[in-house]
Amino acid sequence: MSIHVPVRLGPAEKSLIEQMQSLGATAQAERLTVAGLPTRKVEAYHYTDLKQLIRSVPPLAGVATSASAPAMSIAGAFRVLIANGSIQASSTAPAGVILGETKGSPLSDRDDVLVKLNEAMVKTSLSLTLESTVDPVIHLDRRSEGEAGHSASGVHIYVADNASATVIETYSGSDAAHVGNHATYMALGKNARLTHIAVDLSAKAATHFASQEYAIAAGAQLRTLVVHAGANLARSQIFARFAGEGAHADFTGLNLVGDGQHGDITLDVTHAVPNTTSKETYKQIARGRSRAVFQGKLIVARDAQKTDGKMMMQGLMLSDEAEILSKPELEIYADDVVCGHGSTCGKLDEDSLFYLVSRGIPKAEAETMLVRGFLAELLDPIEDAALNEALQAVVDNWLLNAK
Amino acid sequence: MTTPMLEIRNLHVRIEEREILKGVNLIVPRGQVHAIMGRNGSGKSTLSYVLAGKEDYEITEGEVLLDGVDILEMDPSERATAGLFLAFQYPIEIPGVATMTFLKAAMNAQRKARGEGELSTPDFMRAVKQAGASLNVDSDMLKRALNVGFSGGEKKRAEILQMALLKPKMCILDETDSGLDIDALKLVSEGVNALRNDERSMLVITHYQRLLDHIVPDVVHVFSDGRIVESGDKDLALQLEAKGYAGFDGAAA
Repeated sequence: MSIHVPVRLGPAEKSLIEQMQSLGATAQAERLTVAGLPTRKVEAYHYTDLKQLIRSVPPLAGVATSASAPAMSIAGAFRVLIANGSIQASSTAPAGVILGETKGSPLSDRDDVLVKLNEAMVKTSLSLTLESTVDPVIHLDRRSEGEAGHSASGVHIYVADNASATVIETYSGSDAAHVGNHATYMALGKNARLTHIAVDLSAKAATHFASQEYAIAAGAQLRTLVVHAGANLARSQIFARFAGEGAHADFTGLNLVGDGQHGDITLDVTHAVPNTTSKETYKQIARGRSRAVFQGKLIVARDAQKTDGKMMMQGLMLSDEAEILSKPELEIYADDVVCGHGSTCGKLDEDSLFYLVSRGIPKAEAETMLVRGFLAELLDPIEDAALNEALQAVVDNWLLNAK
Repeated sequence: MTTPMLEIRNLHVRIEEREILKGVNLIVPRGQVHAIMGRNGSGKSTLSYVLAGKEDYEITEGEVLLDGVDILEMDPSERATAGLFLAFQYPIEIPGVATMTFLKAAMNAQRKARGEGELSTPDFMRAVKQAGASLNVDSDMLKRALNVGFSGGEKKRAEILQMALLKPKMCILDETDSGLDIDALKLVSEGVNALRNDERSMLVITHYQRLLDHIVPDVVHVFSDGRIVESGDKDLALQLEAKGYAGFDGAAA
């Protein structure tokens, strides 16, 4: 028997309920009315209490009538712009790329408030079919433009059997307190290869939510990289499922938080079939009074024998007021697997710093070198030179400018 | 009399409540090589770290002048650009920082501090290649992350390579012979000797006499319990080898 205690709804929840009603999403509106936004009592939001963190929600965003400068320019990339959730015209697609649209949110249904909101809000998603080896980097430039607004967007990517591609998504926009809720669903066909990068460069006042879902077929090779370097509040949720044998994925991410910021990367990887391997490497750097959260869950199904999973979180504290939290979880139902996890947290190594400054390198520059060194493991595998340079610039810019 | 390259006056240093250096006095004239010998724990390495500017030490008394300028108020990078160089006993491994990136950053930082322009990449490559050749530092070593996976000998050679590239006027070599076999010791010593000249001084810290067969010092100092207890010419090192430190400081060896 459960006793129903009605939750006290705050202004943010009331706005969301009204917005859901205006969109005709009655189920979502009712759900919010009954449960409210998740608090720390909800395990998946334990360190990111949305009820506390979201005090207000701006009105639903209208059609974008202005455009901010591109957050990242990558030489030679094929760029598709999505502004306030609407797909904008793009140049001719390169060989192997078919652009289209699909109805609704691309995500699989899941009991998660951000997924539910995305389902309620996204009417049309961009669809990308990658049929063969796609040479240029594909840049999905997702923006929140104009006055502060609440918007959602969806992208569905299918990498065909034996095809390969590199896709980068950037999230940015005008300098306003936007709330963005973005979804990307990626299906990798047999022996497909995908490098997928998602970089949050939203305005400092903005809230950024992104859900990324991966379905991985036999023999596929996936590398992911999530970077948080923008919004005041950012949460990226990564849901991945190995559905075919012989596949391998490297899940990586970099959570950069400065004074007043809260960044959360939540990962959920399911090995559902035998003989798949994954390596999860996440790094967090916190400055000022800030909070960086990593939650990583590896689930190995009963049949998923010979799974090999290695999860690692490394945190670097650049101030005494910063908080770095890490919650690795392994749920293993098979008996013949190799899985491990580790978590470390510390400051820059004093001996390394002394070594560099003793050679005449000024302290600030030496610190930057060490931080870059700390991150090299994540950025080095990004092979495209222009893309690698652009990502390095994001990190350098954060190091130089974040408080 | 000309200004000495290094002058240490009555230097007292403690870590927390423990006094490690108890009144060190030392003058190293320009162009000379002095050796400091002492048993483990006598405070030799502390002296090298204090000169290079490592934090963790409290200087309670004394002065250190580099070419006539007090350096105790300078931070470590300023001391380096003023011409001080410490070859570490245990060079630090820094994963993720490429050796070449590090060398270029160090050389350019020092040039910048002296008001010189940045080195062009070809000039930099040429300088490294030249300095590396005589020390047997090949391009494979330079491609790796700084000191990561280097053998003991490779680490020491890399230290001397840095010394050759940065051209300091005062070099402190802290137990440069530790962890080296005879061949590596010879190679490193030759590298050091090639850098000896009338303008450059060196302070060689060791507890074995064997290094001083290769790097022959002008003066040898015996260090015990945080101060210099005896000074003499290179024969003093041989006496030490024969009598042991106990013959100098009275304590049991």
